[in-house]
Amino acid sequence: MNIAATGGPPSIEVRGLRKVFWQATSGQAVVAIDRLDLTIAPREVVAIVGQTGCGKSTFFDMMIGLEPPTEGTLRIGDKSPHADFDYFRGKIATVFQQDRLLPWRSALDNAKLPLELIGLPEAEQRERAMTWLKRLGLGNFINAYPHELSGGMRQRVAIARAFVVQPDILLADEAFGHLDEVTAAELRETFLALARECGSTAILITHQLEEAIGVGDRVVVFGTSAKLLADIPVAQWPKEQYAVLREAIQLTLQNNSADPRLNRDR
Amino acid sequence: MTASNDELREPVRNFTFPRHTLVSLLIFAACWEVLSHLAPVLGIPPFAIPSLVKIAKSIGTITPLDIAVTLARVMAALVASFVLGLALAMAMYRSHSLEKYLHPIIRLFMAAPVVSWILFAVLWFPGVEFRIGFVLVVVCGPVFLVDTLDAMRSVPRELRHMMQSFRPTTFQFFIKLMLPAIVPTIFTSWKVNISLAIRVVTIAELVGAVTGIGHQLSVAQELFSVADVFAWTIVLVALLFMLEAVVARVEHRLLRWRT
Repeated sequence: MNIAATGGPPSIEVRGLRKVFWQATSGQAVVAIDRLDLTIAPREVVAIVGQTGCGKSTFFDMMIGLEPPTEGTLRIGDKSPHADFDYFRGKIATVFQQDRLLPWRSALDNAKLPLELIGLPEAEQRERAMTWLKRLGLGNFINAYPHELSGGMRQRVAIARAFVVQPDILLADEAFGHLDEVTAAELRETFLALARECGSTAILITHQLEEAIGVGDRVVVFGTSAKLLADIPVAQWPKEQYAVLREAIQLTLQNNSADPRLNRDR
Repeated sequence: MTASNDELREPVRNFTFPRHTLVSLLIFAACWEVLSHLAPVLGIPPFAIPSLVKIAKSIGTITPLDIAVTLARVMAALVASFVLGLALAMAMYRSHSLEKYLHPIIRLFMAAPVVSWILFAVLWFPGVEFRIGFVLVVVCGPVFLVDTLDAMRSVPRELRHMMQSFRPTTFQFFIKLMLPAIVPTIFTSWKVNISLAIRVVTIAELVGAVTGIGHQLSVAQELFSVADVFAWTIVLVALLFMLEAVVARVEHRLLRWRT
């Protein structure tokens, strides 16, 4: 289901999504996500912000398909990323907080990993991976092992690994949070430009409000148990009011309820 | 980003002259030679501590066929043990229930003395080769299994999570992630098992075999030929060092990414 073949990525529909974990030690239920409703349109870039432990990462794992819902539905198009796990091979790609490169593989071999999994011919794997590494400024480092690269370069390889399949859905979990400000800003910009170019739907999970406002078409604010506190169309906010927006999101997170300024029409 | 990856790598030093090893071996040989000359004065029978010349003569009579037979037994058993251990470790990693059932049996196998396995083999199986193979596999197989299973469990959760996010098949998950991740442990396990197998095969060959280094040691003992025992022991040690060197070389090649 790449863009050329189907005309674009499908929408994401989340209805009454609930995820409950049982803690083995205490025998108690922990509600990580409590009846979440969310719709993400094709090609949208959505930033999800929330405090630590609010259920962002659980939602991320459910988007990947590693966790089934306890109740409710999460559908990408007409498929479930968990129940139709294999269907989404090569259609969903992820960038994590740490680069998570395989240390025994060179930059090139790391970048072509998703292509190996979908079974492309070796020559095509190499060509596509090299193209993406070159686009990300790593043309001279294709044979370098991860330990020979800087943190920023490793994250570039991880981004190349995500884009190499030209996915319908891109998921990034605090992908730039561990980098220095300059590198993070540069990579954020590159990531966004590539996502727009590929026509992918992108979901970025972050705790950095500047990043969320700067990158997302929408900023979704999660409260405790992924309660949807606010769903902000950033484009409706003039850039000169971003400081107000940031403050309003900050207060929303602190009070676990939507700041009134987020609901007014712009 | 100023240097390319070729410039980043340091040249690898492949060989270091083993000066300390040579010196310690020469000192040991000199002490042995002195002791062999002093044996009559010290009241020790002359055959008990043969001179280096006698040992050298015994080494000259060594039959390569026996070395080849022992080496073949060791290698065949190690390969079989490794394949069996790895396959079971993968199955146990995938199935928690299987692990719970198999774990006590593996512990039992590892706790049983080698001599018991040799006696079981003699009592249960008629063929000499099968007996020796059986003993080696039941001794080495569990070591491979436990080591590889532990290594699989130690693969960082972050890497497993990353791999799963790209939706590999079960086969791809093992081939692309688990197997390369446990390669360093596999080499350590091979080194341990080579040493173990060389010692076990010798004992197994002592009982019932008509070829191999263990059998030749048994013959030397019957003839009260300490020089022959010494010569075959040197061969065994040399064989062990040679196999370890081969493994180390392959390890160095395959784990170049760590340097």
